Amino acid sequence: MSITLFTSTGCIRCKIVKRFLGERGLAYAEKDIKAEGKEDFQKFYVAHRKSIYRGQEGVEFPLLFDGVAIRQGLAAVTAYILAGKGLDGFVSVGTLHQEWVDGLLVSGGDPSRAEEFMELLRYLKGNNMKIRLDTKGKNSHILSRILDEGLAALVVMEVPGPGALYRRITGEEVDPSDLARSIALTPKFPQYQFQITVAPVIEADGTARYLTPGEVAETARQILEITGSKKHPYLIRPFKPESADDPRLKGLDPMAVQALYSYRTAAREYQVLADLGKE
Amino acid sequence: MTYPSVYPTGVTIYDPAKCWNGYTILQAMEQGALLINMNGAEVQLWKGLHGFPNKLLPGGYVFGSTGQRNPSFGMQDQRDLVQVDWEGNIVWRFNRHEYIEDPGEAPQWMARQHHDFQREGNTVGYYVPGMEPLVDRGNTLILCHKNLKNPKISEKLLLDDAIIEVTWDGDIVWEWVCSDHFDQYGFSEAAKNILARDPNFRPSGGGMGDWMHINSMSVLGPNKWHDAGDPRFHPDNIIWDGRETNIIAIIDKKTGKIVWKLGPDYDSSKELRKLGWIVGQHHAHLIPRGLPGEGNILVFDNGGWAGYGSPNPCAPTGIKSALRDYSRVLEIDPVSLQIVWQYTPAEAGFVMPYDSNRFYSPFISGAQRLPNGNTLITEGSGGRLIEVTAKHELVWEYISPYWGHGLNLNMVYRSYRAPYGWVPQLDRPEEIAIERIDVTKFRVPGAAPVGRLRETVVEGVLPYQGGDNALCVGQAED
Repeated sequence: MSITLFTSTGCIRCKIVKRFLGERGLAYAEKDIKAEGKEDFQKFYVAHRKSIYRGQEGVEFPLLFDGVAIRQGLAAVTAYILAGKGLDGFVSVGTLHQEWVDGLLVSGGDPSRAEEFMELLRYLKGNNMKIRLDTKGKNSHILSRILDEGLAALVVMEVPGPGALYRRITGEEVDPSDLARSIALTPKFPQYQFQITVAPVIEADGTARYLTPGEVAETARQILEITGSKKHPYLIRPFKPESADDPRLKGLDPMAVQALYSYRTAAREYQVLADLGKE
Repeated sequence: MTYPSVYPTGVTIYDPAKCWNGYTILQAMEQGALLINMNGAEVQLWKGLHGFPNKLLPGGYVFGSTGQRNPSFGMQDQRDLVQVDWEGNIVWRFNRHEYIEDPGEAPQWMARQHHDFQREGNTVGYYVPGMEPLVDRGNTLILCHKNLKNPKISEKLLLDDAIIEVTWDGDIVWEWVCSDHFDQYGFSEAAKNILARDPNFRPSGGGMGDWMHINSMSVLGPNKWHDAGDPRFHPDNIIWDGRETNIIAIIDKKTGKIVWKLGPDYDSSKELRKLGWIVGQHHAHLIPRGLPGEGNILVFDNGGWAGYGSPNPCAPTGIKSALRDYSRVLEIDPVSLQIVWQYTPAEAGFVMPYDSNRFYSPFISGAQRLPNGNTLITEGSGGRLIEVTAKHELVWEYISPYWGHGLNLNMVYRSYRAPYGWVPQLDRPEEIAIERIDVTKFRVPGAAPVGRLRETVVEGVLPYQGGDNALCVGQAED
């Protein structure tokens, strides 16, 4: 399997990946898209357009292709080099730049791969990157280790809703104590934020309806109860039906911004810093 | 400006036949919300009630606030907005905008209200026939502060302006944030440069940039422009003005976008050049339907110092780049930008430009159109309230007798005239005319009367020359 690494002139993140490949003795062909690799990348892009992530600032680099998989962004590429698909779920394409690296979801991956995930974070931190981690509550034991080693600069915890609705919102089960531990750990990081997306809840009859202000407030109360503080940054975000995979959710009317104010008012009973996220 | 050391306060001029008679509400320095009649009798003081501003409501209610946030941590933040009855009972209160924990102060919810607010039922917060503000229900629009960073403007912390709409029960149901629309304000590159370096940085709270400084906010209401099909003037839309930027703008309530604007610069078209620079203005609003001049914009164009632009001798870094040493009250057709009516030092009878600064308040101030076509003007820095007719005759004047101890000013932020009927608790007062004193003859006790004790004729002297060419300074056109 041969590795092609698409890079961009002057890209620090690309250099970090190249160093990682070199440390592992892995051969690769580098194509600098601003130099000799420009045409090659154009052909590659045309052939694989649907699989390539394009953010607001363009295609994320570095981009790795080994004939099987495409991986983009510092975290995802490094994770793939380290563990193949083993860290899928923990990593996705990041969108932050300069000294920040994101696209790392603590709760998203297989906990049996925790050691490799920790190795990935250590490597990124060791290359002077500031790490933003996201979590939805699972794998609190990994979050705890990350805290102990001081690896993350920022943790964003999405608390999907009251514990009783977790499965109906996310489609997954969660151990309530795992969720509670993650909530308790999050404020201990140098920077942190709690957030909730006013997401659809699947009812027993299979229909979907949005979380209510009371349910968002209940989630805020849960954070207060676990942490003992009502002064956490707490962002309330609108759900984007167009990004949903479930056709029941895709068909929902998007919530108007004005409708979110009642959620904020309700949440502020328990988290006084609750505010609205713009996206 | 020349200001005598000794001058009368209270009501100094009053022509009952020409005035629109009623009560006037004002915030008297370090006293409270003061209600006076046309002869200046202080018929009610809501003692200690702050107001930014105070507004009267039918039934003898008054709007105000219970106090200001410690200025060490916040700038001009009122803790709350309250509605108080005649007996001093708070019948409505809003403060749940932001949870504030200032060092050494009790943690509390605050409204962070400043400069203006509007209760449903009335668009501008003053008397309009047939447009009574609600007193026992309804939503309230509140102009508030919000601290945030916006790298498009500056790397520094900003003291931004926000407008919120709150229900009677205190739920926020709509919000608009000024800096979200930075790209729509039309700042020049020079303005953006100085804004980035110095967004009007003030020391409170460790430093924050009061970059826009919105000081008035009101609803357009039904108007002829919208009736004629111009969507910019939708009745729900909101007009506001920013004192630091010289901007007057209308926002679409649905989208938040700027749909009409004056400023920040006034030299980009023939119409704007004719209008002249509006500098550091206050109280821009659309005269509501039901009042003379309805559909026009009334604004107190302070002059003073404001705006962001290129450095000049009076603004070495480019902040507060526009300067003028007199004020104007302008009534402007918002479509043609023609000045429909104005009250400037010229209309006030002062010789321009030499004596222009006799009508001048570089900060605060306001103007209210009255039902008979008169205008109540708050020339705020000197605590002077005047009522002038459409023909510019001065028919009422009041000077506040209250100076502050913390601030040695008798300033009045903004005053309003209300009908007698809005205060059912009082009998209609007597209206006693006050003739204008002839100041050439008026003397304080102990001073000699006017007139010479001896007069000597000198042969060969010529009569005195008149006209402004006789003076060595510039002329009004300069």
